[in-house]
Amino acid sequence: MMTALSSVAFGAVSHLTAGRGQMGTSLSFHLFFAVLGVGLPLMMLIAEGMHLRTGDPVWRALARRWSKVFAILFAVGAASGTIISFELGLLWPRFMAFAGGIIGLPFSLEGAAFFIEAVFVGIYLYGWDRLPARLHWLSGFPIALASAASAFFIVTANAWMNVPRGFQIVHGQVRHVNVLAAMFNPAWATETTHMVLGAYLATTFGVAAVYAVGMLRGRRDSYHRKAITVSLSLAAIIAPLQLGVGDLLGRTVAQHQPATLAAIEGVTHTESGAGLNLGGIQLPGHATTVLNVKVPNLLSLLAYDRPNAPVRGLDTFPKADRTPLAWATRLAFIGMVGIGTGLVLLSLWYWLRRRRNGPGPEDRLTLIALAGAGPLAFLANELGWLVSEFGRQPWVVYGVFRTSSAITTAPGLGATFTGFTLLYIGLSAVTVWGVRRVSTGTPGLPASAIVSVA
Amino acid sequence: MSLPALIAIGLGFALTAYAVLAGADFGAGILDLTSSHSPEQRTALARTIGPLWEANHVWLIFSITILFSAFPTGFAALGTVLLAPFTLAVMAIVVRGVAFSLRTETPERQTRSAKLLGRAFGAGSVAAPLLFGASAAAVAQVSSSTHGPATVSSLPWTGLFAGIVGLLAVALCAHLAATFVTSRLDRASQPTLADRFRRRGLQTGAALLALSLLALLTAAWKAPALWHRLSTAALPLLVIGLLATVLSLYALARRHYQLARGATMLAAGAIVWGWLIAQSPRLIGTQLTIHTAAATHAALTAIAIAVAAVLIAVLPAFYLLYVLFAHPAPEMTR
Repeated sequence: MMTALSSVAFGAVSHLTAGRGQMGTSLSFHLFFAVLGVGLPLMMLIAEGMHLRTGDPVWRALARRWSKVFAILFAVGAASGTIISFELGLLWPRFMAFAGGIIGLPFSLEGAAFFIEAVFVGIYLYGWDRLPARLHWLSGFPIALASAASAFFIVTANAWMNVPRGFQIVHGQVRHVNVLAAMFNPAWATETTHMVLGAYLATTFGVAAVYAVGMLRGRRDSYHRKAITVSLSLAAIIAPLQLGVGDLLGRTVAQHQPATLAAIEGVTHTESGAGLNLGGIQLPGHATTVLNVKVPNLLSLLAYDRPNAPVRGLDTFPKADRTPLAWATRLAFIGMVGIGTGLVLLSLWYWLRRRRNGPGPEDRLTLIALAGAGPLAFLANELGWLVSEFGRQPWVVYGVFRTSSAITTAPGLGATFTGFTLLYIGLSAVTVWGVRRVSTGTPGLPASAIVSVA
Repeated sequence: MSLPALIAIGLGFALTAYAVLAGADFGAGILDLTSSHSPEQRTALARTIGPLWEANHVWLIFSITILFSAFPTGFAALGTVLLAPFTLAVMAIVVRGVAFSLRTETPERQTRSAKLLGRAFGAGSVAAPLLFGASAAAVAQVSSSTHGPATVSSLPWTGLFAGIVGLLAVALCAHLAATFVTSRLDRASQPTLADRFRRRGLQTGAALLALSLLALLTAAWKAPALWHRLSTAALPLLVIGLLATVLSLYALARRHYQLARGATMLAAGAIVWGWLIAQSPRLIGTQLTIHTAAATHAALTAIAIAVAAVLIAVLPAFYLLYVLFAHPAPEMTR
């Protein structure tokens, strides 16, 4: 451990590993804020809309509290997004020289969406007392739409890295570029939908978790109950949808990224009528898997709609074209699907036990489950992104451009990696501090507004 | 006009918008650093940029996306050579932005955390324009010489000329902020506070003028190839920039605050375009130009349409934002 730390500190980690480490740290940090940036505006709109409809001040208190938290998260998310837009050029200049002219369009459009979002964030956050109530509510719509659009555009670029289309390489030069074919590659629909739904799902369970913790600490009032109800209502719709979209995305991978599918599903040798591995992790350096339960023929059926369809094993790909992180890809995939399934079950459990027109279950076990589900839902998003990135290796553009050919030739990545890692640790600490400061306790509402049931 | 040139002009416009608008935000941080004794000045600064700075900042992201979409190999070369200064600059941007958004809740209260956040906001606001200015100067220098492609070690971003241009950028940002805040406070009928920012505007304007002249002298002495470009193709912009700076000082002295603000914006635009013209059509080094580094024609067409569409969609939204927050609200609770 100490040697690992000191080698990071002194830049002895390989150039490529340092670059990948820095990009990975940056993206996983940003993803957390991006997810909340997509999800929270929708929650704010619902709460503020409920206030306009019912006049209940608790809804307004919720919307205002969320908007204060959102103000901080948006600032950190915009900042970490700026880091990434720089890192594309600073860490991966050769990748950008190749890809910039092909996938520039979705990035430019993302720029537009971010513009619209930032403008209306200014209006919404500073407009609570300046705009008439209905107009203020309406000014939140562009935020929710533009943040989802941003996620959409960025993920089309990631989908292109997985299933590259819309260009030809002639004598080592990029030619015959069709930017629309690149953006609307075969993976765009499933990958973007999976990401946007994932963002909503993580936000809803994240919000529910915060208020479940509040209830566990004894704050069982209508403020907390409304927050949990609105979150889990959304989750009840989104969680099953997400499972279905995840299945469709799996088919996209099966069709266009066979090496990735083999890594994701843990298929070492080619099988016809392949079974679905429910567990099964291949330890590095071992040929067999551990902790596996196999459901016969299910993988062939899910991926290719035929129970006896052959599924290509990882060992049929040249060693240089297989992901060196097959075990991590598999682990991340199991984690994501496991958590997703758990979230569907938890949401079912909650709504089946809810009394008609009454409150949902508020026993200790349910609240603890909700409190745990929030962080896990965020973890599922991070894992899903790892599946996309690890599963594509050794390629940065699947089958076309290797990650090792993309890294910068400039020296000093050990130092920048160390610097950014320290920066992210500091940012995480001040963000937690800042969010806690604006969000601790039930806000000062008139006693009549909060119905306490404790 | 060729497609790459058209997009390069669009890029220049985006960079100008960033320099003027985000420059004023950086300037607010710089002035904040020197107002620790005056809570009402800090509050005035925070309220001027509060609702606007996030949107202003997007011009940077937008410029980067135009650059890598339209000129991918130029972007790659710039990214490689500028790794060190841009890493530091983006860290500064992040620190100042987060510090500001965390502090903005209570700009009047001087708790220990607010002081610390204020200092981080100020330090980042100085460092970012310093590094951007120095980087631009260094890129202009290597692009005007005759040495071929630029390398990491050949970029003189820590040289004398780059340092002076960095300081020039800091002074420009501070002057933008001073004139913006003065004119806003004047319209909000807060003459005492406006007068204090007027005095600071006179100081920052004098610094800007002095550093502009010093930068030109240093260019003539240390970077003759660049000086040649500056004194020929970019000469009109140099003259406009210097005259606009003098005009802003005169207008501040005569209390024409709107004029002072306009003149400072003009000076900022002239400085940005003076730089761009001085190194055009080169992006970096002598070989990568907007023509040799351009993406394929189909990609350029798509980018040109996208950029135009973005501006059509975004400019009205910006207008709305600025109109809405042009005047301080009677009650600014959050």
